[in-house]
This record gives sequence, C-alpha cells and structure tokens, in this order.
Amino acid sequence: MRGRPNYLAGFGSLIWLLLVGLPLYVLLLATLRTRADYSTEGPLGLPAQWTLRNYLTDLSNGFGRDFLNTLTVTASVVAIVLLVVPPLAYAIVRARGRATGWVFRLFLLGLAIPAQAVIVPMFYLISKAGLYDHLIGVILPTAAFCLPVCTLVLTGAMRDISPELYEAMAMDGASPGRVFRQLVLPLSKGGLSSIVVFAALQAWNGFLFPLILTQSDSTKVITLGLYEFQTEHGADVPGLLSAVVLSMLPILVVYLFARRALVQGLMGVGGK
Amino acid sequence: MGSRFAAIAAASALVLGMTAACGSGGASSDAGSGTIHVMVYGDATNKVEKQIAETFNKTSKVKVVLDTVPGADYQQKLQTVINTPHAPDVFFNWGGGSIKPFVKAGLLLPLDGFIAKDPGLKSNFLPSVFNSAVVDGKPYGVPMRGTQPVLLFHNKKVLADAGLTPPRTWDELVAATRALKAKGITPIALGGGDQWPTLMWFEYLYDRIGGPGLLQRAVGGDREAWASEDSRKALAAVKDLADSGAFGRSFDSVKFTDGGSPALVAKGRAAFELMGSWYYSTQQDANPDFAESGLGYTGFPTLNGGKGDPADVVGNTNNFYSVLKKTKHPEAAAAFLKLMYSEEFVKAQLAVGNLPTTVHTVDFLDTAASPAYSKYQYELVKAAPSFQLSWDQAYPQSASTPMRTAIQQYVDGKIDADAFIKAMQALPTS
Amino acid sequence: MTRAPKSAAGVARPGFAWAAPAAVFFLLFAMAPLVLVAVLSFANWDGITEPHFNGLDNWVALIHDPVMSQSVWTTLLLTALGVLTQTPVSLLLGVWAAGHQRNRAVLSAVYFVPLLLSATAVSVVWRAVLDPNFGVPAQLTWLFGDGNLLGSRSGALAVLTFVGVWQFTPLHALIYQGGARAIPQVLYQAAAVDGAGTVRQFIHITLPQLRNTVITSMVLMVVGGLTTFDTVLILTQGGPGTDTTVSAFYMYQKGFKSYDFGAASAIALVLVVVATLVSLAVVKFSGYDRMRGTAEGL
Repeated sequence: MRGRPNYLAGFGSLIWLLLVGLPLYVLLLATLRTRADYSTEGPLGLPAQWTLRNYLTDLSNGFGRDFLNTLTVTASVVAIVLLVVPPLAYAIVRARGRATGWVFRLFLLGLAIPAQAVIVPMFYLISKAGLYDHLIGVILPTAAFCLPVCTLVLTGAMRDISPELYEAMAMDGASPGRVFRQLVLPLSKGGLSSIVVFAALQAWNGFLFPLILTQSDSTKVITLGLYEFQTEHGADVPGLLSAVVLSMLPILVVYLFARRALVQGLMGVGGK
Repeated sequence: MGSRFAAIAAASALVLGMTAACGSGGASSDAGSGTIHVMVYGDATNKVEKQIAETFNKTSKVKVVLDTVPGADYQQKLQTVINTPHAPDVFFNWGGGSIKPFVKAGLLLPLDGFIAKDPGLKSNFLPSVFNSAVVDGKPYGVPMRGTQPVLLFHNKKVLADAGLTPPRTWDELVAATRALKAKGITPIALGGGDQWPTLMWFEYLYDRIGGPGLLQRAVGGDREAWASEDSRKALAAVKDLADSGAFGRSFDSVKFTDGGSPALVAKGRAAFELMGSWYYSTQQDANPDFAESGLGYTGFPTLNGGKGDPADVVGNTNNFYSVLKKTKHPEAAAAFLKLMYSEEFVKAQLAVGNLPTTVHTVDFLDTAASPAYSKYQYELVKAAPSFQLSWDQAYPQSASTPMRTAIQQYVDGKIDADAFIKAMQALPTS
Repeated sequence: MTRAPKSAAGVARPGFAWAAPAAVFFLLFAMAPLVLVAVLSFANWDGITEPHFNGLDNWVALIHDPVMSQSVWTTLLLTALGVLTQTPVSLLLGVWAAGHQRNRAVLSAVYFVPLLLSATAVSVVWRAVLDPNFGVPAQLTWLFGDGNLLGSRSGALAVLTFVGVWQFTPLHALIYQGGARAIPQVLYQAAAVDGAGTVRQFIHITLPQLRNTVITSMVLMVVGGLTTFDTVLILTQGGPGTDTTVSAFYMYQKGFKSYDFGAASAIALVLVVVATLVSLAVVKFSGYDRMRGTAEGL
C-alpha cells in the first residue's frame, strides 16, 4: 500500500468509468425500449414505455439452442486443454530430452500464428474429414489455438515449484506420474485456473472458426447468432442489444460468483 | 494437385476423421434419408419459402428442410459448401453467372429430365426469365421468387411536405434533392456501407446515358467501353450527385442489409431510395404501416440526350432454384420445384410484394398486397426494351469485391474518373 | 516407483510421452494447416474444383497488388495505435486498481465489464451506439458533427482504435494490476522517506518494476492487433473503400468473397511471417528471450 492516493491514475479511472458507462447505459436502456421508441427518441433519454418484449422475442428465436451449443464448445475446449497442457508443461519444465525442448519452441512459434492465417486449409481439412457443420469441427481447432498461451502460462507457474520439492519427492522414490499428481498439480492451481479462464473465454467468444466451419441453425453458437442478427436485422437495435445482454449473462454470473478466481486467473495470463 | 499436398491433406483428414469418430460430442446433422435440404438467401421473403416448404411436407414422404443463410454471407457459404458432403440438394441463386462455375465443375443437375416428365416446369414461366438460368444450352434453374427491377422509392409524405412531386426527369430529381437538402432532410438514403446499393446508381446512369450496349461490350471484354465518352459522362453525373450532398454525408456508415437506410426513409429522415423491388417486402416487414400508405415508387428518371431508352430497367430477372447432381431424392426435388408455378406460390409471393414470373401471374395481380404496386412492376418489366442484369451478377464472382471497392472509392472522391476506369478495365471478364 | 535414486541426477523425470499428446494435437491442427497454407499459396483453387499448382502466379499478383501493401501498412498502423493507446490507459488503470482506495472494489467491478463481451458483441454494440442516424451521434451533434465516423480513413481508424482500447484495456489492466501487486512495498516506503511524490514513485519504481509485465502485455497487444478481424468485419467491412482493409480481412475477402483461395493463402503466409517477425522483434528488443532463457529449468 502506498502512502498517498495516486491522483493521476484516479483521474484516468474516472474517464474510463465514463467510457465504459456510456455504452453500457445505452446498451441496457435500449433493450428495455420498443423499437419505435428507440428510433424516434434516440438512445440517450429514458424510454417512454418500458418493455421486456425484446428479451422474450430473442429467447423464442433460438437463443437457448445457441447457448447450449456455445456451452458444449466451451466445456469441450476446456476439457481438451486440461487434458493435454498440464502433462506438456510438466514435461517442458522437467524433461531432459532434446525433443521436449523442440516442442516448447514449436509452441512459442505457435504464439505468432494467427488463427485467420490457417482458416483456408482448416476449412479444407475439416470438410474433407466430414466435420464441417459439426461442433467437434469447431472444438478441435479452437482448442489447438489455445494451446500456445496456455502452455506458456502453465509452464511459468510450474517453474515456480522449487527443485528441492522435486528432490524430496524423488527421495521417496516417486515416479513421474506420482510427482505430477501429488506435487505439480496441487502446486500449480493458480496456473491451472488461469488456463481454464483463458480457454473458456477464447471458446465462449470464438467467432472465426464457427463463422467458417458451421452453417446450420443446429450448430450455431452465440457469437454467430449475434453476427447474423446484426447483418440481417441490425436496424432492430433493441432486439440486437438484448441478444448481446443475453450473451454476456452467463459470464456475468460467473463473474459475480467467482470474480476473484476469474480476475486472479486473468492476472495470471500475464505471468510475472 | 501434387502428391505432397494430397498426402498431407489426406493424412491430416484421416486423423481428423478418426478423432471425430472417437469424440462422442458434437451435433448430429439430420443428413439422413428422407430429407432434402433447400438453402435460401435469408431475408423478408423467407416466410413464403417456409410456407411452400410446409405445403410440400404435408403430402411428401421426403421432407424439405429449409436452411436460411443471412443475405450478406449467402454466396460465401454456398461456394464453400457446394462441393462438400454438406452441400444442399436445392439452392437459391441468381441464374447466369452465379451458377456458371458450378455447372463447369459438373455439380449441377441439368433439368431437361424433369422438364421431359413435366413440361410445365418450363412452359409455365416467362421464357426471358427462364432463359437466364440456361447455361450452355441446358436449363439449370427454376424461377423461385419475383422479378426484381430496381425502382426509385420515396416517402410520399416527405415529398408532399416539401411541395414536391415524384421526379420524372433527372433535372427534376436534382432540383428535388436541392429543395430537400435546404429543408434539412437527407434527399436520398443510400446504404453505402453495403457498397452494392451505390452500384445501382451507376447501373441506371450508364444505361440512360450510354444505352445497354455499353455494359454488354464491357462484360464481353471490350475494355475501351469503360473509357468511352458516355462512360465519363455517367461518372460525372454520379459524382455531381454525390458531391451535391444528395446522399447526405454519412452514407458510408449506413447499410441497407441491416435495415438502416430503409428506416431512414420510413421515418421520414430521408426522401428517396433507389433499390430493387424487394424494397416493398423489406418495408412491409419492418414498417408495415409505412409500406401500406406512405411508400411511393417510380421508375428511374429519364435523362435528356442519353442513348438509353427511358423504359429500360436494371435489376435481377428473378432468383432460381438449382438442383445438385448428387441429390439422393431427385424426384422429390422435381416435385418441390413444381410448386414454384402453383397458385399458392404465386399468391404468397404477391402477398409480400414480389412479382413471380409465371405466365399466370397476371391473373392474380388483384390478390397482391398492393395490387397497384404489382401491376406497376408487371407493366414496367413487360414494356422494358432492356432488362440489364446487375453488374455484379453479370461479371464473374471474382470481380465483385474490386468492383464494389472502386465504386465506393469513386463516390467518396478517393479516386478520380481515370482511376475508376482503370479499375473497371482490370476486372476479370469470363 | 521402484527406483530410489540417491542423487539429484537420478531424479525420475517425465519422458517425451508427456509432451506427445499436446504436440501431436498442435501439429495436426495448427502446423499441418500452416504447411498447407504454404503449399496452397502456389496453387489455384476456387473451393469447388480440385486445387492445381500455378507456380508463382499468386505471389507475382500479390506483389503488384496495391491493396495488399496498403493492407499490411494499415495492419501495422492499427497495431501500433493499439499498443500506444492501450498501454498507457491499462497501465494507469491497473496500477490504480492495485491500490486500496475505498471505492476501488465497486468501481473496478464496473471497469472490467467489457471483458465479459466477445469481440463480436463489442463490435455490435459500438456499431449501434455510433450509428449516425439512430445512435448517440444523432443526439450529440455538438460532439460528433454529421456523425459520419466510418466515412473517412482517419475516422474509421480512430473508431477501430478506440473500440480496441475499450475492448482490451480491462484484460491488460488486470495484468498490470497483478504485476503492481507484486512490487515490494518496501521500495515505496523508502522512496517516501526520500520525499519522492506519487509521480516520481510511479516513474522510478512502478514502471521499472513492471518492465516484464509491460513486455508480456505488449506482446499480447501486438499479436492481437495483427490479427484484428471481427471488429473490422462488423464495423467497417474494410471500408471506406479499402481504407481499413487489414491483412486478415483482405485474406478473408480474397478467399471467401472472391473464391481465390490461392491468393488468400499467400496473404495468410505474409500475415504469419509479419506476425512472427514483429513478435521476434519485440522479444529481442525487450530481452524477453533472455528472461525466458534464465528461467529454463533444464
């Protein structure tokens, strides 16, 4: 704690409050107006007539289905990441082989590969493999593009485990598997929660892969639903913005109940 | 393709396929037997397509599944799926240039067989329209919406309040834009963000000034057509209009596809909008009261001294359903196509303001949502000596993006006439 | 489990098998497509028929394509603008949030709301808010004039940059908050004893201590900036004209709008090379690689 309040940063934070607050104010109020009200009264004043109709319309237009699809994608991506990244990070930190070093460099290189760059062959591969328009066809590439950052974050966390602890375990004759379960995993909880948060946000907010790799209503995710709503009925601002609010509700719930974990997780993405 | 490419692709695809087999998750698609997928351009007319599909499904064992793709992404999605296992059985298109690549790739089913069994699939449609989906002498599409001439729409009340009447000549239009601007109203709503609505102004001015032959020559590969005197005159007319503020100042931030520019006209913030005849169903969907009583329409104004006939129209002749060769249910597809000349279909299209192109349409004009509007369109198209296909449909698909970009840059004043002509000359012609 | 090594050298270490699943997965879904991109960039492919090689045609066309070079510059410009605007804002915000002012907890809950929105949602919201006819500019004409924010190059770039700040600042502020919390308080106490004010403390203690955090955050910003796509697609469509056509969007246009997947692959490869070079430059310039190197636990 510093002795004096930081006026400079405090001033900046006030401006930020305005910048964040204004669109949020417009966002929330617009969803509670009728369409006619929005186009005649404009976004800034209070609605002449309050309504929840926009939300009800969105919910009856397949938002629930989009939500379930997004949930499936997010849960699967997180599961894949949790399955493959911790063993990899453990190997990177502790293995001696040259091969593991190369794998680490491969992932560092992977940091610079934008998902957009591979979308053309990805489409080719996914459609050849018969995965086009299946959620699994979105899940696999999304998970793959989470790996570099997740690996980096978790590797950073595992490096903080002191060598003495490893040696102590080794004295007991522990196998790598046991070391992993009893030492590495419990001591890298922070890193693990960081990669869960990161992967979940990536999957929840993913747009490009669903845009290119899916097509039907039955595989539509929330971001795609928003985009389609915008391109087709963008002038129905109240309806559109209600969909935005609905799309952020689940994360908002997580944010309210697990704010600490979420924030700590995201702080962890930056490493030290 | 080289063996290395094939090997990498095959190996990766194989592993991917195996992963998919192992992974139990994912949505299962209903590609099983007993359905045909019909892919359509998503917009206000979809309610007709839904109704026809329901009618079909009442009696047919093979059910139609309608896949609507939002308009802005329709062509992209179609192109990406058409040669995959997820291709639809029947799909919406613009005929002509839009299906040529698919025909060349051997993906489409020539409809001769269907027509041999039911000659009505051809004889019930206006020949000029039916022929725009004939490629290399074979029919590949059946008209499935209405004909879409581009008209100049206006807000009756706004014009009346300004003491104006719908303009019949270009000079009257220019005078009207000045008067409206002076009153603080955007004279012409333009969805410049979509780029293709701007193109419509070019299409009409080129036709009125240079006649329909100019573009025919350009599409045919005569690059000099773009550099001709008439081309420069048309460009100057577009530029003068834009520079005078007739489109307002913020048209680059406005779109038609998301309902932005139609809202401007419906709310009386703008007076005119140049748009395809689907504009009526757009307004009917979003602003029903306005569509019924406030929406006026005329043909594009005449222009003194131009080579084009004042009765010429530009637009799309119709949209078409084409059938993929690999469909498992060709009989069902044929039966579905037959509905496109049914009485129910004609009435449903007329009810949303579209003008179907069957030979019987004229008998039902009185059942239209706005009989006057349907009759007006019908007479306009019937009397038109030339029906110029939209430039972006007349040119190959790959020309579309550079064409629209050049259009927008020219109207914005980013490039001059010479640069615009150069850009158009660089477009691929088939 | 049966081994009981006596020295550290004998500690049981994980073998390559531990890294294999992730490596295979990544090779398949990121590296194999990357190789295919390289191969496709020498081919002609319309997405319907089978691809066939056309040598250097795509590359020659790309070199002579003014839109391509413009798109690279636009991408770099937007990235630079992003880093230059997001860094100070998120640094100040993060450092402030790391403090213990009374109102901090409540306010910071509001501050981080943009974090909960996807890029798609952010773009959709801002497009509606900034609509010249039905959005905020129509009501605040003293501030926005005719409201044609997306009608000029500078306007459209400014909107994209601003939306970037709005969207990414919370994440980077959190990263800085984490970094600032880790700075030992002793340093500030010592400085206070020497009579250093808040600003001097910030410049002489906070900034140097946050050096590595700044670099991490900047690398993330650079990679994010180079791959801007959702916001361009939804807010500007690359327009007006080609003024905001960033490379990623141009690639999407070439591939999925003009169906020239060969040309699209060539652009994609340029994108990868530029992204790699810029990341390497940032890493080299900042000494990030040495930092990683010393941490190498081998």
